[in-house]
Amino acid sequence: MQRGVMFALAAASFMLAGVSVAADNIEGLARTCNNCHGFNGVSAGGAMPSIAGLPEAYLKNIMTEWKTGKRASANMTRLISGYTDDEIAGLAQYFSKLPWVPVAQKTDPKLVERGRQATQSCAGCHGPTGKAVMPGTPNLNGQLAKYIELELRKYKDEAFAMPSMMMRMAVKPIKDEDIPAIAEFYASQK
Amino acid sequence: MSAYNRREFIKAVAATSSVSALSFPSLAQTKAAARVVVIGGGYAGATAAKYVKLLDNKIDVTLIEPNKTYVSCPLSNEVIVGHRDIKTIEYSYDGLKKRGVNVLHDLVTGVDRAKKMVTTQEGKKLPYDALVMSPGIDFLYDQIEGYSEKLVEQFPHAWKAGPQTLQLKKQLEAMPDGGVFVIVVPRAPFRCPPGPYERASLVANYFKHHGKNKSKVIIMDANDSHSKKGLFNQGWAKLYGWEKEGLGTKGMIEWVKGAEGGLVTKLDAKTKTVSSDFVEVKADVLNIIPAHKAGRIAFEAGLVGTEGNNFEKGWCKVEPMTMASALDPDVYTVGDACVAGEMPLYGNPGAAFDMPKSAHIAITQAKVAAAAIVARLSGLKPPEPYFVNTCYSMVGDDYGISVAHLYRVIDGKFKYIPAGSGVSMINMPDKSPVPPIYRKLEAEYVDGWIRNVLADAFA
Repeated sequence: MQRGVMFALAAASFMLAGVSVAADNIEGLARTCNNCHGFNGVSAGGAMPSIAGLPEAYLKNIMTEWKTGKRASANMTRLISGYTDDEIAGLAQYFSKLPWVPVAQKTDPKLVERGRQATQSCAGCHGPTGKAVMPGTPNLNGQLAKYIELELRKYKDEAFAMPSMMMRMAVKPIKDEDIPAIAEFYASQK
Repeated sequence: MSAYNRREFIKAVAATSSVSALSFPSLAQTKAAARVVVIGGGYAGATAAKYVKLLDNKIDVTLIEPNKTYVSCPLSNEVIVGHRDIKTIEYSYDGLKKRGVNVLHDLVTGVDRAKKMVTTQEGKKLPYDALVMSPGIDFLYDQIEGYSEKLVEQFPHAWKAGPQTLQLKKQLEAMPDGGVFVIVVPRAPFRCPPGPYERASLVANYFKHHGKNKSKVIIMDANDSHSKKGLFNQGWAKLYGWEKEGLGTKGMIEWVKGAEGGLVTKLDAKTKTVSSDFVEVKADVLNIIPAHKAGRIAFEAGLVGTEGNNFEKGWCKVEPMTMASALDPDVYTVGDACVAGEMPLYGNPGAAFDMPKSAHIAITQAKVAAAAIVARLSGLKPPEPYFVNTCYSMVGDDYGISVAHLYRVIDGKFKYIPAGSGVSMINMPDKSPVPPIYRKLEAEYVDGWIRNVLADAFA
């Protein structure tokens, strides 16, 4: 990581400590997230998404929806429900200040091309390469392929509560067989 | 370049702990090259070494570990049944070296706590300002009559990953249809509380996929309950014909609890038969997991409890805020060797409370210790600690389950936080069955988890 980033990071935590966040040690709490979401929130692989550099409001909203039961999850609801609202806000702020780092992944050029075609309707918010153009929208360029695939399957599965109506509508026309291609396309983008 | 800036970290710690800003001048008195020695390069030791270095690059950090390659115990059950190559759970120490940790492949032979000095087999003498003790576990081979350390090749425990894992895999593969695979589970506490039951699940899964449908897994359990029991039973019913507890029951998996003869006290090695007060079971493959205690060097260093119950005697007690040993403020005991936390123990309500011995919690313990060490070497109070656990188990194809734990320190004591803890849903809140996508997601998270915890500790 770049040195300037380190300073920004440390400064962010310092600032947090200065404001009235009930949690004493957001950086320490955030370090426990590294276990699964990767060092400084950049995933080392598999189905675990990178969380560094995502929009603060987006991160806070998801965690809050888990805590209040609006959003389904296989496991995050349990962990997040143990954190105070201030801790959730602190984590969202902390990770949003870190840089978005696309993760290099092995991808299949044919699938990537198919994915490019299948994602044209996503570009309005997520940008043509997954670099979000709409405020509050998560980046998808270099996000983990397995995660994107599973996320799309969650949106398509009626049994899994995903509250974003916009995403549910957007995902509806996507064919099941295009899902891995879409995941590979975004994963391949820098 | 390290990811954290020392001065800023210390400022943050100073601002968040009860130390006033007036203590900043004490930063100037920080020793230029404080020395931290880490004994043991498992998840806990590697993480502690890495994070001390990240938080303060000036600290001289030495990690001592005899093995050149680490083999993860988590997910080694998948290796036994051929779902994963052992290489996917191996990691070198090169990442730590690149971060400036001195990695010494050597064996610690002595810890002189009065002189604050560690000595090794190769004659090295390493002074320390803070010592991280993370030796993992050793086995008690004398709890079963007829069993001894010499028999571990014949009856692999596969509870330390590596050659033992591959040995058990070989035995499983050679077992004919109709054979009996017996898992002997020791009394708690043992590392990876759901591990034996995941192993049983995956072995049954192996039988199904390899035309060995007449085979059985029998779990002889010293305990009367176990981790994620409701979830395992539900999965076993769905996938392996499970109906109920006890010996001779229907289905591929039989679970015999301690009170009903599961507590194995004798082994007849010749006939591969294990027995308890009530029952006798003859095995084709016999997987004996011996009872545990803290690793050898923790005993030799005098850091181990000598009295109390199973959860106190043989384990290292720690201070909640810092993970420092209750017996020595200069030693930080992290990982499986320590006893920490407060948790209702499965089927053992009268017993002491212990954080599960898992890789995930070992890593968060090590991060707490690392921050506490750096703060202390800078003359500051330790920052607020958080202890988090997530532990996934595979029950079958596309079928994963998990348990999460959150602990805080409140009034100087470990406090288990039920709101931030719990197992995967057994049923939906309206009592309807859990849709398959939930189990599928957790099965996928298993692979994501191992990649990330290995990288977090070793990369």
